[in-house]
Amino acid sequence: MAFNKRLVMGMAIAASASVLAACGGGGDGEESGGSSGEAADGITIFQSKVEISEQLEAAAEAYTEETGVDVEVIGTTGDDYAQQLQIRLNNGTGPSIFSVQNTEVAERLESYIYDLSNEDMVENIAPDMELTLDDKVVGIPYGVEGFGIVYNKEMVNPEDIQDYDSFVSTLEKFNAEGINGFGLSSEAYFLIGHISNYPFSLQENPEEFMDQLTNGEVTLAETEEFQRFGEFMEAIRANTPTPLNTTYDTQVGDFAAGQTAMIHQGNWASGMLEDFEVDFEVGMAPFPLEGNDQLAVGVGSNWAVNGEKDQAEIDAAIEFLDWLHTSETGQKFIVEDFGFIPAMTNIEAGDLDPLSQAVLEASNSGNTIPWSHNDYPANVVPNDFTPVAESFFVDDSMTGEELVENLEAAWQNAAQ
Amino acid sequence: MGAIRNWSKEILLFLMALLFLSPIYIIFVNSFKTRQELYENTLALPEQFGLQFYSAAMEQMDFFNAFINSMYVTIVSVAFIVVLSSMTAWMLARSGNWISNVIFMTMIATMLIPFQTIMMPLMQLVTGITQDTGIPLYNTLSGLIFMNIGFHAALSVFLYHGFIKSIPLSLEEAATIDGASKFGVFWRIIFPMLTPITATVAILNVILIWNDFLLPSLTLIDKDLRTIPLSVFYFFGEFTIEWNLAMAGLTLTIIPVVIFYMLAQKYIIKGIGEGAVK
Amino acid sequence: MANRKKIGWYLLFTVPLLIIFTIIVVIPFVIGIYYAFFDWDGIGANPMVFTGLENFRILLEDERFLSSTWLTVLFTVLSVVSVNIAGLAFALLVTSKLKMANLARTMLFMPYLIGGLILGYIWQFVFLDVFTLIGEVTGLESVFFNWLNNEQFALFALVFVFTWQMAGYVMIVYIAGIQGIPGELIEAAKIDGAGSWQRFLRITVPLLMPAFTISLFLTLSYGFKIYDVNLSLTGGGPANATELFAMNIYNEIFGYGNYGYGQAKAIVFFIIIAAITLTQVYLTKKREVEM
Repeated sequence: MAFNKRLVMGMAIAASASVLAACGGGGDGEESGGSSGEAADGITIFQSKVEISEQLEAAAEAYTEETGVDVEVIGTTGDDYAQQLQIRLNNGTGPSIFSVQNTEVAERLESYIYDLSNEDMVENIAPDMELTLDDKVVGIPYGVEGFGIVYNKEMVNPEDIQDYDSFVSTLEKFNAEGINGFGLSSEAYFLIGHISNYPFSLQENPEEFMDQLTNGEVTLAETEEFQRFGEFMEAIRANTPTPLNTTYDTQVGDFAAGQTAMIHQGNWASGMLEDFEVDFEVGMAPFPLEGNDQLAVGVGSNWAVNGEKDQAEIDAAIEFLDWLHTSETGQKFIVEDFGFIPAMTNIEAGDLDPLSQAVLEASNSGNTIPWSHNDYPANVVPNDFTPVAESFFVDDSMTGEELVENLEAAWQNAAQ
Repeated sequence: MGAIRNWSKEILLFLMALLFLSPIYIIFVNSFKTRQELYENTLALPEQFGLQFYSAAMEQMDFFNAFINSMYVTIVSVAFIVVLSSMTAWMLARSGNWISNVIFMTMIATMLIPFQTIMMPLMQLVTGITQDTGIPLYNTLSGLIFMNIGFHAALSVFLYHGFIKSIPLSLEEAATIDGASKFGVFWRIIFPMLTPITATVAILNVILIWNDFLLPSLTLIDKDLRTIPLSVFYFFGEFTIEWNLAMAGLTLTIIPVVIFYMLAQKYIIKGIGEGAVK
Repeated sequence: MANRKKIGWYLLFTVPLLIIFTIIVVIPFVIGIYYAFFDWDGIGANPMVFTGLENFRILLEDERFLSSTWLTVLFTVLSVVSVNIAGLAFALLVTSKLKMANLARTMLFMPYLIGGLILGYIWQFVFLDVFTLIGEVTGLESVFFNWLNNEQFALFALVFVFTWQMAGYVMIVYIAGIQGIPGELIEAAKIDGAGSWQRFLRITVPLLMPAFTISLFLTLSYGFKIYDVNLSLTGGGPANATELFAMNIYNEIFGYGNYGYGQAKAIVFFIIIAAITLTQVYLTKKREVEM
């Protein structure tokens, strides 16, 4: 008992001292964390893609074996990655390497992100695939990913979905046969996040368009691509079962079982398709908004280096990334174990599944449209677009036009 | 006549409990299914009760290490919580002055604070303490235990407080006149009478701490320190969940708590009858 | 002298816990209050601008916040009623002399053993598969359909799942209370010819007042704070129809990056809830029977 009391007392005194320090220092208090050099001889990685957690740990072990540098991979669940990263950065225990999804996040974390422009590996990044901030390269892409209409080759002829009219008549045909012509699913990005890309990405200069939208210089309702987009969404709602009853698992499951002819998905779904042991060929086709004939290809996430750490740790972190992207062992991990489609010109793609192959081909030929959702206001998809899309699918009286108007209002709400 | 009525009551109660429990069936059967089977039917029995997902889950979770960490954190935290909060609650309940009331009210008011709103300042404070004083609160199991005590203090004091109020004062007064110290009175006379509520407090805290994810995920970094919930959540991807592994991991997680509950509940049931009415 | 000794004992018994409690809960909360007066995104290196009461002013015009507050109140009231009725009923059943009581007690408590996050996922299956199946089989499709996609029913679904989770929890609080009622009292009442309903109302209920205080408070506080079930069961949808308070704050802080504003919301809500629940505790405490 006595021991316990002393311990507690000691802690109380210690705590009050540090509270004073924390309050007095305000925002500066964190800097002390960066220099606490206990990790100087090792680095930590914190990243959002749960699917590669284990493989990344294996890569870290291999690296430690080769170089003797200790690499600790901190665990995460995809859902709360952003929040945990923020807390860790704030209390000075931030990782040396972390993942940054897009420009929007990079801007928020600007003060923590190290400028990688002068590193060798940056030269190997495929054109336009690097993450930049004011002309500085701040992120190394994980790999490229692409999405579009994933279709069952036995049921759908890609020529039948090349414009609005043929797409709609295909949906109607399937609907009459009791087959789901086009499946979305209820998760935020699969419901509206990805599909809402098209009208933005088809603009001449999507980024400029988004700026103008935020500043009120253009409206979605008066933009042609969005008017058409509204019509597409109406047609999808009219001819398919509600996506709100579908999870990603069932969406892909229904597709694999032949109950759905087309789904809106990306090459990442191929892993799940394998689990379902599909016995037909699958292909990926562009979503034919305004006759679009290109897949949407972009980068899901990027490696960034924490610039608040001391130089030794920063260097160690860069060396690890360099090893991952240039050494034979490292590249093998990226291609084979992580299963990424490399976004680096010096890495050979491995044996790819058909969906990834389609994405790679599109990416190599430059025949792609960008991922505009990477430039959306932060979290607009789950926080603002999704409720709008949900009410669109719940309430049949909402027109496509109203959908677009509501999306615009949602955008403004998030962009201020 | 009475016997039949009793029997029907028995059956009714059993059926009700079974119905109540039925969603847990979903966890259990799906821990044996492949993704394909799961898609085809969530409710059907699996084609086979193979243990392959259990062994895979155990391996990926580093189950035994995580199990020992969880046991350690849970047992030590709950022991401290029971000792410290019963003592505190007794003093607060019996002294009856305004300071006690203020402390008590403050404590229960804090139970209304959503954890999300204090986690950032808390983590700043905790790492601040670790860095400035060298007291290792961050990234250690003892630090996690320390925080557990703080977080669950209010609930436990609240439960003890309510219970102590219902114990007749006369018993304590008799003992005090005998000349026993407060310490002696508490441990020899009061604490034994608190057994049912101690069992309640212990059960609730064991469950909260055993299942807690958010706090350990923020405070523990080293892989070796992971508790069971931290390991289970490795099966939950951003969009996909490996249901079979997750369900198997979950079953492994709750079995120890079920066993503990069955052992502990008899102390709740024996109850005050033995303690107070001697 | 005696007084000083008394104070010494008082400190010895209470101080250790209070110190830990202060470090872990009170101080962080106070720091959080401090942030509520700033315009800040929660990133340490980004500027913190002192804005005084501005955050509290915008809050009154924030419709999403106001509707979320209303939903939370509605959810909590419904939940408190249903959880406590179910919990008390279970407690009375399993403390009776039935043979099944022991087994049932364990089974009824089981749901609470599963964390809220998982529980939400499981119930998604139930609403999606089981409910629609029952609807098709029985033809009662107006009752049994996927509640989660209906703006009104999604909230009821949340209440339902929360009840399922918490009923076993308050059950054990009520069990402890029921066990505390001296058997002689019941026997005496029986001899006096009181019927079982009368015994319940006149003896059990008044003596259970402390258990009511505890259970009501626990369900109130858990209900107001609910986050994990909310996240995994409905995610706030459809169309924000179930975005309860904790989730609203969470989205504000980590979604929109308005840390200071999120803290301001948290504080306002805390004050409202504290007022309500402390009143509840005060009222039920007054009715407790001192023995």
